[in-house]
This record gives sequence, C-alpha cells and structure tokens, in this order.
Amino acid sequence: MRIAFDTGGTFTDCVYLRDRRIEILKIPSNPRNPAEAISNALAQITHGSREVSPLDLACGTTVGTNALLQRQGGRVALVTTAGFEDILEIGRQARTKLYNLFVEKQAPLVPRERRFGLAERLDSEGHPLLSPPPNEIARTVRAVVRSGAESVAICFLFSFVNPEHEQAIGRALSKVGLQVSVSHQILPEHREFERTSTTVVNAYLVPVMSKYLAEIERSAAVTSRRASLRTSGARVRIMQSSGGILSARAAAREPVRTILSGPAGGILGAQYVAELAGIERIITFDMGGTSTDVALMEGGRSEALATTSETIVSDVPVAVPMLDIHTVGAGGGSIARYDRAGALRVGPESAGADPGPICYGRGEKPTVTDANLVLGRIPESGLLGGAFQLDVHRARELMDRERGPAWSVEKFAQGIVDVANAVMEKAIRVISVERGHDPRDYTLVAFGGAGALHACDLAAALDIPRVLVPCMPGALSALGILRADVTKDLSRTIRLKIRSASGTRPALDLEFAKLQREGLKRMRAEGFPSSGVQIERALDMRYSGQSFELMVPDSRGYVAAFHRAHEQRYGYADRARPCEVVNVRARFTGRTPKPHLPKLKPGGARARGALISQSLAWFAGRRVATPIYDREKLLAGNRIAGPAIVMEYSATTLISPRWAGRVDSYGNILLEPRR
Amino acid sequence: MSVDPVRLEIFKNLFHSVAEEMGAALRRSAFSPNIKERRDYSCAVFDAAGEVLAMGDHMPVHLGSMPMSVTAALHALRLDPGDVALLNDPYAGGTHLPDLTMVMPVYAAGTSRPLFYIANRAHHADIGGANAGSMGMSREIFQEGLRVPPVKIMQRGRVAQDVMSLILANVRTAREREGDLTAQIAACRIGERRLLEMASKYGKRDVISYGRHLLDYSARMMAATLEAIPNGIYRAEDFLDDDGVTPERQRIAVALRIRGKTAEVDFAGSAPQCSGSVNAVEAITWSAVFYVFRCLLDEQVPATSGLMRSIHVTAPAGTIVNARPPAAVAGGNVETSQRIVDTLLRALSRAIPSRIPAASQGTMNNLSFGGIDSRRVPGKPFAYYETIAGGTGGGPGSPGTSATQSHMTNTLNTPTEVLEHAYPVRVRRYALRGGSAGEGQFSGGDGILREIEFLSDVQAGILSDRRELPPYGLSGGKPGKSGKNELIVEGRTQKLPSKCTFYVPAGAVIRIETPGGGGWGLASANKQRGKRKSPKAPSP
Repeated sequence: MRIAFDTGGTFTDCVYLRDRRIEILKIPSNPRNPAEAISNALAQITHGSREVSPLDLACGTTVGTNALLQRQGGRVALVTTAGFEDILEIGRQARTKLYNLFVEKQAPLVPRERRFGLAERLDSEGHPLLSPPPNEIARTVRAVVRSGAESVAICFLFSFVNPEHEQAIGRALSKVGLQVSVSHQILPEHREFERTSTTVVNAYLVPVMSKYLAEIERSAAVTSRRASLRTSGARVRIMQSSGGILSARAAAREPVRTILSGPAGGILGAQYVAELAGIERIITFDMGGTSTDVALMEGGRSEALATTSETIVSDVPVAVPMLDIHTVGAGGGSIARYDRAGALRVGPESAGADPGPICYGRGEKPTVTDANLVLGRIPESGLLGGAFQLDVHRARELMDRERGPAWSVEKFAQGIVDVANAVMEKAIRVISVERGHDPRDYTLVAFGGAGALHACDLAAALDIPRVLVPCMPGALSALGILRADVTKDLSRTIRLKIRSASGTRPALDLEFAKLQREGLKRMRAEGFPSSGVQIERALDMRYSGQSFELMVPDSRGYVAAFHRAHEQRYGYADRARPCEVVNVRARFTGRTPKPHLPKLKPGGARARGALISQSLAWFAGRRVATPIYDREKLLAGNRIAGPAIVMEYSATTLISPRWAGRVDSYGNILLEPRR
Repeated sequence: MSVDPVRLEIFKNLFHSVAEEMGAALRRSAFSPNIKERRDYSCAVFDAAGEVLAMGDHMPVHLGSMPMSVTAALHALRLDPGDVALLNDPYAGGTHLPDLTMVMPVYAAGTSRPLFYIANRAHHADIGGANAGSMGMSREIFQEGLRVPPVKIMQRGRVAQDVMSLILANVRTAREREGDLTAQIAACRIGERRLLEMASKYGKRDVISYGRHLLDYSARMMAATLEAIPNGIYRAEDFLDDDGVTPERQRIAVALRIRGKTAEVDFAGSAPQCSGSVNAVEAITWSAVFYVFRCLLDEQVPATSGLMRSIHVTAPAGTIVNARPPAAVAGGNVETSQRIVDTLLRALSRAIPSRIPAASQGTMNNLSFGGIDSRRVPGKPFAYYETIAGGTGGGPGSPGTSATQSHMTNTLNTPTEVLEHAYPVRVRRYALRGGSAGEGQFSGGDGILREIEFLSDVQAGILSDRRELPPYGLSGGKPGKSGKNELIVEGRTQKLPSKCTFYVPAGAVIRIETPGGGGWGLASANKQRGKRKSPKAPSP
C-alpha cells in the first residue's frame, strides 16, 4: 500500500491509491511532533480498508529545513585538523553584501568551545605527514564527551584523498556512543570550508531527523499490526533535495540530503501536470501555511531537474546536489502587524496550525488567511470542502482591534493581501528577472494550500500570461513524492589526467566498476535487484589547472564531448590543452510504479452543473457578486469567467475579475487574462 | 517616451545579470587560484558613451575605476566589431600593473557604431618585473612589471598572437597567464552574446533608452541621499604607516563639502607622491569615493555612473592620491585605497554619526611569492598572490565581524586544499586572532592569524599597513589591534616590516597577524546595561 506524505508547517498532506484511484487526506501538523500527523493519517487511511499489502511510505519533510532555519538542531562538536579549528567561522573571508557598512555574519552552528583540533596532517596527495597518535585520539574523544555534544562532525584536510585519519577518530567516537558525521562520506570533494560546513549541517540535523524517522517507523509498525497488513517488504522512504527518494535509514545517516525534501516533491508534481498540459517553461509557486517556495524550469525533462551544489540555506553553504529552489518566509498562516515605523508587515512569524489563524477558532493575530476570508475570497464553509468551518465573525472582530490606521476591516484585509503579494512577487523576481529570465515567457504553476488564491494577482503584477492550477493543488508535493523514483547518487574525486580518450578508458572503467558495485549493493538494500536498476554515468571534467568542472555524460567520445561542452558554455575550447577527470559520478535509479491521473469526463463550455452558490467578494475596494464552484463537479472543457471561486477539498482557487479559466482534460484549470 | 517602472526594474536586473554572468564564466574557466578561487576580478557593462550601466558584485576597487579604462581604450584605439582592447597602464586607464583590463565593443549586425561596451578586469598572479607576484617593493613603475598601454589583444575575432607572445615572454608563468587571458576574452564574448540577445528581444531602442533611464534614476537617488546630509564642510585626516622606503607617515587629508544635492570631495593637503609603491592614481581615488557614497544608498539602487553626477572629486596631481609617472603604484590600489575610505568615512562620521562605523582593518595584507616548484621534475615556475581578511569596525547598533574582507576588496580565500595542491607550501595555521578587536559598546571584529611554510626556496613580498597606527574607534570606542608580520627561519623568529621583499629557503615559515576592527561607543555603556549585543544596524 503506497502512501506519500508531505509534512508542512501547517498541514500534512497524504496522497495514496485506493482501488486504483488517487485519494487525498489533509491532517493538521503538530510542529512539536511532526510524525504525529503521519500516525493519525495512517490510522484513518487503514481504518476499514481491506487492503493487506505492506505499507510503502514515501515522505517529504521540512523537519531538516526548519531545524536549520530556526537554529534548533542538535548540540554538535566539530573535530578538525589542528590549527584549522576556526575554519567554520572564517568561511571564505568574503562578505555577502558589498556596499553595506554594517556587515553581519550569523554565529556558526558550532561555537568555539566545541571545536577541537586533532594533531594529524595529510599532504595534498594523501600521504600522512602526521598520523594521529592514539593518546591524542583518546584525549580528543574525552574532550568531545565533556563538551556534552550529542552529534559530532569530523572534517580533516585532504580526507577526500585519504580517509584513514577521519576513519580512526570516527571509530573512536562511535565507540562511546556518539552519532558521527564524517566529511569523506558526506561530501568526498575538495574545498575544506564547504565540506566542513556541509558535514556540520549533517551532524546538526542527525539528532532531530533520527527522532522523527524513528517515530514514523514506529507508527508504521503499529498501523501494520492493527490493520493486519503484511510486514515483509514494508518500507519508509524519504524524499531527497535532489528529486529522488531514499530509505529512512539512509536518510537518518545523511539528513543533509533532505533539506529541500518537501519543495522537491512539489517540483516533481508540478512538472508532471505541466507535462500533461503540454507546457514546458514553468515557474512553480508553492504557497503553504508558513512559507512559499518558487522555482523556475526552462523546459525539457532532463534540464528541468537541474541541480546545484552551491545552495546556501539560512547563510550556511550546503554543497550536496539539490534542486534550485528559492524560499521566502510568508504563507497563508503568516501573521500581519504594523512595525514601529508604521509599515504593515506580513511574516515571517506564522500562526502555523496551532494556534492557527483567527478564523480557525484559537489564534488571536490576523493572518493572510483571515484577510482572504474577510474579503470573501475564501468561502466561510472553509478550506477543506466543508469539513472545517471557518469563523468569519471572530476574524472580523479580532482584526478590527488590530486594524490600526486602516478605515475598515476590509481595507486592513486588502492591505495584508497586497503586502503578502509583494513578498511573493519579489521571490519570483529573484529566480526569473534577476537571473535574466523574462516571466512573460513562462506559465505560473500555482499550488500549495494558498497558491491558487494569490496566483491571478501575482501573474498580473509580473505580466505572466498564464496560470496553471493543477488538479489537487493542495497535495501536489505529495503527488510528486508518490511518483518519485528511488535514486542514489554516488561520486568520487579521482583527479585523473587524461592522456588519450581510449588510453584512460581502462582506469575510468575501473572507477566506475567500484561505484557500480557500491551503488547496486545500496539499491538491493532499497529493494531493487540489479536488473531493475538504471545507471547513468557522468564525468566532471576540466582543463588541468581550472577549478570548476563541466559534467559530461560518460561515452566513448567523452574527451571530444568535454571540448564541445566547454566551447558551448564559455565560447572557446583548447584542444591542445591537457584535460582531466575530477570526479566520476553515477546515478542509480530504481523505477517505482507511477499512478496516473485519470482523465476527466468531457462537458460543455458552461460550468453550471458545478455551481454551488453565489457570494460577495471584495476586489479593488468594491463588493462584487462572485459565484462559487465545486471543483469536483467541473468537467473537461468547462469555462469560468472571473470573478469566481473554485472550492475543493485541499485548496481554493480565486479567479480575478479580469481573468477567465478553462478546465483541461485532466482537470487542471488554465487561467488567462480576458481579452 | 515615458518610463515604465516595471521595465526599469527588469532592465536594471538584466544589465546586472549580464555583468554577473560574465564574472561566472571568467571564474569557472580561469586557471590561476587568484581568479578562480579568490575571485579577484570585476565585470561591467557600459553604454555607447562609456557610462557604466551595471557592475557585477565584484571588487569595489576595480569597479569605480573601470570607466577610465573604457575612455582610455577609446581614446587610443578604434575598436571594430570583434576587436578587444587590453591594457594595464595605470597612467592610461589602469590601476596597478597586475590588473589586466579588457574592453570590447558590442555591435549589432548592420550597425556602424557600438551599442554598448563591456569590460572585465582580473588581477593576474604575476605580470613580470623585479618581484615574483609583481607586488613587491619598487621605486618606479618600470620595476613593477610589464606596462601595457591600450593595445588590441583580439582583432576582428582573432587573437593577436604577436601581442600575446610579447606578454607571455615577460611573465613568470606564461601558460597560466595565457589560460587566464583566454578566459577573460571568453567572458567578453559571453557578455556580448547576452547583450545582443537583449537587444533583439526588446528592441535596440528600448534597451538603449532604458540604459539612460537607469543612469538618471541612480543620479536622482544619490541626489536625494546627499540632500539628507546636513550642509557643511567636514574635514578628516588619516595616515599610512610608511611608504616602505622611508619611515615617514603618509598623510591623506580630505575636506568634504555637502551643499544641497551635491558633494565636493577635496584631497588637498594629502602627502606628495612617495618613493615607495603606495601611490594611488586618480582612478583609485575615484573608486574609493564611489564606494563610500554607494554605501550610503539602499542595496537595490543600481551602481551606475549616474551615482557620481552630483559628486565632484578634486585630487591634486603629484600627490599620493593622484600620482604622476614614473611613480610606483602597486600598493596604491590595495593599501592607499583603503586609507582613503577610512579618511572619507571619518569625515562623514562628523556629518552623520549614526550611520558610520569605526575603522575596519584598513589594509589588504597582500602576500605574494614565487619561485621554482621543486616538487616536480623538471622544476616548474610558479607565482602566487593573496590578500588576508581582518576585523571590521563596530558601528552604532551592531558589533563588527571577524575575519571578513572590508571596503575596497571582497576576495575569497584560497582553500588550503587548493593552495597546497597547486603550490609548494603548507598552511600550518589559519585561525581567528583572539583579542585583536577594539572594545566598545559595539566592539570591532577579530583579525586572522595565518602561518604558511614554504617547501621550495622562494622570493616573497608583503605589502601591508596598519602595523603601527591601528584602525580607529569612534564615539569613544577603542582602536583595534594593529597587525604584525613575522618570519621564522630555523626556529628563529624575526619581525618583518609592513612592506618588504625577501628571499627565504625551503622550510621558512611566514606568520601574518591581521588587524582587528575598531570599537564604537564607550565599552562602559554595555556594563551599565549588562549586555553585550544589541539590535541590528539601522538601515540606510
């Protein structure tokens, strides 16, 4: 029984198959115990089900991101080469803002008193200059234990060439029961600061993530027992930031790979529905309760999932491959308030699921959701298709107390929505205009609980000509996770000078054979026999003396392919210059069965059959008659002119007065400005 | 035509992204650590009149002075389609000799005049002369390396091999230089390609006119900022420790006159040009002034030439802030530029005390060395250059930061794993220099302690300052600790002067301690309130 979860700050979304149909369930998250929602969902899903197949869970999670953003990870100690204890704090010496006289730096994740140098040293070829004496190792272990650390990061100079010293101290620290993150395993690549930083982030997340994953595994076991499901073959897998899923056990060891886990699922889901709609160039706009993620995809499947190894999360470099996603701290649950200078601000503080917005009954501070409700943009009958009533009177009453200089509650509400939109607009500018992409060439794919509420306003502000509201906009990330393949990326730095393409071939094949053995072993552990694993091999190459590599697929003509790639990227190639292979890479993919979205029944242009009621909503300071439609009842080919509201189980779509929508054959709604 | 604010924003970002993309291409395809790891380069886009439309977020000391390179290249040469000019002559559009600048015109098909110019500047690890790394002690420019007036390195799309071989014959590491120069040419081409794409997408007319609107917009923003500063004349002075030849202090004096929407910055009273290399050419002084005023604006304001329309700079010829040939200038770029910033900020602190921090380290701690790498057979020549960060000054509302590059530079470090792989050295220690920060209500940041052991015989040079006069505190804050240079040969430690060139055998260790930043406000203010840190800096 395959179930995908996406744990957000406010809701946990579940998507699963029942009788070959895709079903959705939304459960409030409990930020203090993120696994609790999953446990509740499992109980609900299996209740009364006749299914006996083992649980096969795939989870997207923000546990790692949140711990890093809020600086609530574990207590970490760092062991470095002696003389380099401050590497984490010195960083690369540069400041992030060039023209700011008041330079600020966040405090490092590990303070000085928990950074320990060990007497050891390798030279650049990996030969030991000083092997760590056993008594020094013992002393370091004692110091780490005394520091009260629960998790330890280890990073020595040149350990990517020779891991022996890291292994020695790693073993000693494991023996005393500490959780150990070792740099040559996390990121076997050169540049000590980036490797240290990535390893430290891993160590910082290990305690939090292990606890979370253990909880999930426990509730999966409990559920299986209660519902008498088969247990052999039961699995829990976690979405990685790179767009593939991986076993919980592997994720608990390397949580740094899950930092953008939830958003990565959203991108896979958005890409899938855009493909169904025949659209290539998209900007994804995933607005949830506490934050909003945006990403841009140029089109074409392979390029669309381009990853970067230069991500910086909350001022901390994390150099493992991730999808290129930009996040801002504003969502439906973001709290609005006037700052000291009298400006209206929205976020980054969020009411989350508890206490939640005012209209949920417990919160007392106005949020974006309350503002949308007061403006009539969310129907009172609520978000979850009526299962969750919203208290508009309470929202009006409490917002009236907070409205400050605004003349009316509606004016205040409109102000909140405008400010929230400006924050989103800026986020989209960062990934489009600022990188030289013109938003007018893209389609905005709006999802998350609140995305489709704000999409028309945003598209209008950015001149984006079209909005795609996928079917199941509130659970698209979970859908993406449900469809994700199991992937494992392995790489190794080899720095091999090339004599000739064919002369170096045997050496490369030897390296690939090593990777392949390791990769296939790990895929077997994930439940994929060798015959079912697809392997993509690639080489990171450069001219000898350069510092940055270009990745080329491994082939017989790899040297020629490198020159061509260099010419294409930088405008020249020097075929006489010697080149080298820096890393060999292999991606192992185990295909998972892909549930497909069913096609919708065709209907005429008129959507009258889906009309629920008429209401009044505020647009540009005026109350306008606005029909409300039930998305479940829309048929392929239906057309709806704005203003209109489309309600469904997981989200609300707002069609602005000057916009119109049509339903495609999969139930996606395409919105365009009316001509 | 009316200005559409949304388009203005889009073009601002487009021009900026062209400059950034050129920088990324240069970094990724370059060969020397100073360019590929430390990012000691800058890229910019100019309109047909040579006014800067956009600069990448690269090196402040390069950026303000790039327009002079374009002007000098256009003055000396006629640049046809496919031509690229190369120059480094500080007395003809350059700054100091290791900075090689390329200027390329961008022609649209069928036009007889360029639509734009693009330029990039990169600091090469060696450009010949008496000292490996070309940053050592000199008394005249002829000792500092190869001087290149504007010449064509590319003609009609082909590399001018004669020019290239002339350059390569005069430098210590020819193959690396060739690779870096090729990367600079490639970066020009990337910029050209992107600008032409923009022109064909949005139309030549719009692209050109929005360039002009950007200049006007920056000018308006600067005028509004100057208007908010109280009218008056604000004077300040500061000193360099010495010029490396004589022990005399080198004075920088400034009188800043704010009148309505304009500023006049007059350096009369600064020391005459000196015997050593800490002479700045006028372009450097201009850069430093540009940097300081740019810092008073919001981050979002585009860094175009428009910013300088209402600022007038007077730098008397023959002084340390506007040297004339044949003065040596290697250190003017890196040391004097920092002191000009310190001096001008001190003057501004008298006008707007709540917006100006205490002094940052005020030096770049330039270390260069070269020789023959004896790890290889046959020995391979090498030359390396780096600068070392220090503490920044505390300011009203926030403490300084430790181990951070400040003001006119923002180069990264070379990772130890890259440095030791490429050169015969071993880094023994790279740490924070505890206790070096100036105390205050908001204390400065700590400097760095760095020890490098040489594994081959080398010729090395240090060009540093703030070894005697420490970075100043403000509003009662204490100064930061000044820096220190030491050499350890066979276990014996000797103190080195702030500026020197020397030969040492394999096994010698150089130890550099960089200055801490000055403190701001009385330290006792903290004790009274019983807390160390305070809220964020006020936004400008």
